[in-house]
Amino acid sequence: MSRFIPKTLKGKLALTAVALGFLALFGNPYRGETVTVATQDLAWNLQQADRLSAPELADRLISGRTDHRILDLRRAEAYAEYHVPGAESAPVGELADYPLYRNETVVLYGEDAVGTAQAWLLLQARGFHGAVLLDGGLDAWKQQVLFPALPEGSAPDVIARAKAVAEHFGGQARVGGEAVGDAPMEMPKVEAPAAVAPAARKLKRKEGC
Amino acid sequence: MSAPLFKFGLFGDEVSLLVAFAIGIGFGFALERAGFGSAKKLTGQFYLTDMTVFKVMFTAIVTAGLGAFYLGWLGVLDLSLVYMTPTYLAPQIVGGLLLGIGFVVGGYCPGTSVVAMATGRIDGLVVVLGLFAGMFVFGEIFPAIEGFYHSTAFGAQSLPGVLHLPYGVVLFAVVLMAIGGFAGAEWVERWSARRTAEEAS
Repeated sequence: MSRFIPKTLKGKLALTAVALGFLALFGNPYRGETVTVATQDLAWNLQQADRLSAPELADRLISGRTDHRILDLRRAEAYAEYHVPGAESAPVGELADYPLYRNETVVLYGEDAVGTAQAWLLLQARGFHGAVLLDGGLDAWKQQVLFPALPEGSAPDVIARAKAVAEHFGGQARVGGEAVGDAPMEMPKVEAPAAVAPAARKLKRKEGC
Repeated sequence: MSAPLFKFGLFGDEVSLLVAFAIGIGFGFALERAGFGSAKKLTGQFYLTDMTVFKVMFTAIVTAGLGAFYLGWLGVLDLSLVYMTPTYLAPQIVGGLLLGIGFVVGGYCPGTSVVAMATGRIDGLVVVLGLFAGMFVFGEIFPAIEGFYHSTAFGAQSLPGVLHLPYGVVLFAVVLMAIGGFAGAEWVERWSARRTAEEAS
């Protein structure tokens, strides 16, 4: 038996590594779905105000960041009608089995604020500490990104930026009271999730630093 | 209680800096002991005369891989909370090539240049100065290259995810690859030593 054990230290280490690696074939390092709620953790997360505002989300999308996932918790029909570009359809009922990693930033929005907050709490309880709420939900997305109403006399660069951002997502910015009544705020038609448009890059660059 | 401790909020930013300091000292010590304070040792890698860099790096990969796997299995570490760097394919290839050129020219990579400087080597100091100059230039031209910097994004990728294989299978394959790599590296070292001896005689 002893002749199978290498004499040198590096040989022994190599044998150990191979043995551990072989044993790893039969294991799984990810923990199961048994949930223990750490109330202290949860309270800590509540304090940290896990929210992302609609303009912040728009900035993330325009700069092409991929270190987040956006979940649309509404019914599939509502999702098909309109959804934030890049959002995945994950109706609340199916959230329990939805494939997510615990280290991902997951932006949630849904039918109404309470339901979305409940989904957020469920995810947090299951250890998805990266779950954040889209502040104000889809309404805020509509009011602040797609069809922002800027007060009369806003700085020209603020107006230009809001207009470019709204246009990028298929909406339209309004200045002062203009066209609030007559132009209907139709949600833009969604095609395949819009990738990063080259125009958005240019917009970013124009801001300077 | 399970790791990662910082992510679970068990200690704050200040303590995390102290932990980082301790880990940094340990890392530097290990690098120095591996002989990585010397540019000759490091560049030996590129001339195939000294494969220490390859062997140390692969040892680190195998140790960390096995360690993370077993700590996760035992429930000490929540692997799904461990940060994975997102992939930006094109900028990372370009960045890797830049780092490689700098490595061959300067004889150090960023970590080892600090080790060399700490042991009083002038060339290490020069590389560290170059490092900061590079950071400054990068910061200044960043607005111009930001588009490229964020291009070809694939998100966080892992080998088990890309290959659709169980975690353990990939780990075992990596261990076998490392062992094969070590044997190959030692063979290359003997070959290049023999060649040097022949040239000398």
